Amino acid sequence: MTDYKKKSKEIRRKIVEITSICGGHIASSFSYVDILVAIYYSGIFKHNPGKPDWQERDKFILSKGHGETALFTVLADLNYFPEAWLNEHYRRGNCYLGGHPDYKIPGVEITTGALGHGLGIASGIALASKKENEKNFHYVLMGDAECTEGSVWEAALFAAKHKLNNLIAIIDYNKIGSIDFIENFTSIAPFKDKWEAFGWEVMEIDGHNFKEIISALKYSKKREKSSPLAIIAHTVKGKGVSFIENDPTWHVKKLSTTDEIDKALSELK
Amino acid sequence: MEFSKLQMRDAFIEKLYKRAIKDKNIIFISNEFGSESLDKFRSDLPEQFINAGISEQNIISVAAGMAIQKKKVFVYSIASFITLRCFEQIKLDICAMNLPVTIIGVGTCYSYCVDGPSHHATEDISIMRSLSGMNIYSPADSNIAAGLVDVALNSRKPVYIRLDREKLPIFYSIKENINSGYKVLKEGKDICFISTGIMTHKAFEAVTDLEKFNFNIKIIDIYRLKPVHHIDIIKEIKNFKIVVTLEEHTLNGGLGSIISEILHDNNINIKLKRLGIKEELLYSYNLRNDNHKKNEIDKDSIIELIKNLNFL
Repeated sequence: MTDYKKKSKEIRRKIVEITSICGGHIASSFSYVDILVAIYYSGIFKHNPGKPDWQERDKFILSKGHGETALFTVLADLNYFPEAWLNEHYRRGNCYLGGHPDYKIPGVEITTGALGHGLGIASGIALASKKENEKNFHYVLMGDAECTEGSVWEAALFAAKHKLNNLIAIIDYNKIGSIDFIENFTSIAPFKDKWEAFGWEVMEIDGHNFKEIISALKYSKKREKSSPLAIIAHTVKGKGVSFIENDPTWHVKKLSTTDEIDKALSELK
Repeated sequence: MEFSKLQMRDAFIEKLYKRAIKDKNIIFISNEFGSESLDKFRSDLPEQFINAGISEQNIISVAAGMAIQKKKVFVYSIASFITLRCFEQIKLDICAMNLPVTIIGVGTCYSYCVDGPSHHATEDISIMRSLSGMNIYSPADSNIAAGLVDVALNSRKPVYIRLDREKLPIFYSIKENINSGYKVLKEGKDICFISTGIMTHKAFEAVTDLEKFNFNIKIIDIYRLKPVHHIDIIKEIKNFKIVVTLEEHTLNGGLGSIISEILHDNNINIKLKRLGIKEELLYSYNLRNDNHKKNEIDKDSIIELIKNLNFL
């Protein structure tokens, strides 16, 4: 039985270590680590690190590609690729383990980085999958600020029309974009209402409560609805390290002093 | 001269239909855009046809997702919309992941004439050739257009096919081998014309009249604009003192630029005259022939240009 809290602290500690050396969006990674741990360690999401191309696998797409550090850390932990890649090559400019996910990395389904692409691609995957009567599910992790991209809503309209109930959008609703709180620059709220208006079933959960996340994941596979599912996960940007939490300036900052790194790690014991 | 009974898009779709009834993996996604031949495809093969609505970005992303799942995907729209509006999706979702999606863009350059700049694909060659991995086809007649169905199906790469809307004269046999990407449609020794699409027809009109003035002009039709194999082109033009390129496309980055790059990169010392759409005339609502006259790419302007060239 996985100790999810322990695993998520371990993942966050690793993210602190590597981003303090080579950069990466630490706050954007921290806000969805718990969701990622629930997906990859609960046994609900069907996958096989030894067979990244396994036909029957569920698919996970990180549409908010700038959160790649968390995904790469989990994939390395699960042996999709050697940890040495993460320790020695990530963001060093000498391999595909760069600043955003690339489809050539074992365990990564598609190349992302420009926001707003993941839901459309996942819709295509889900539609083709349905035509083949496949029984797998396709999860897309998006940012909330990402949902100001028009292409997200084009995909939302399409997915609902085509009854893609094998498609699940999980929105990391941390209320912060790159330079400001999202309420200050966009009228994204009421967020649930918008997804419902587009024909989706919507759940809202605490994105740091494993009981709620696991329950939502279980439901995503058992539900008897024809519509796609949006899981709005209320999260905290930078969750896990108090001085990073809920501060727009931490979208681009990295832990740079020994003092900061030590403080962060001490909070993640 | 035999004229096609079909628009290029209908020749293409009719051929694709024949393949699609035997292959359930062929998927046709339309951007809320139809044609006569598409009606039959839609009614006979509803599981293989998707009207994705007016959402170019999403259509490309969905096409990419379906191609990831091993579907053979064709995206169909007006050329200007399906290249410009979703260029980032074409770059990242299709080309960066090297997915075998075929984009069919109808309405090269001034095909939609009086509909205006919103419907004119005046720069599609320029932008699409900037994408690594993209293969670009520009047929001059509906037989080549139909032949491109199998080229697209056999390609394991992204493909963009730009189709004119007119029922143009037929140059090619229905059984033409389309591997070389170009064809010498007329031999000559004084000047070499290199053209694509409708301008190959204009080239013939001009060259036929120029023969009365004893000009002996070679015409090469290029129907695959990317990749263009330098060695092949050099072999065809090396004995000429002057090459004239003819395209109904902006002069910024199209066929003329392709030939210019070949000449320069291979240190070939041949004069090059590029005919195409002038930048200051790109946005218009004129009839197509009037646009040609204004840009001096109509038959009479081409003839005048050649008669006044002082190189021979």
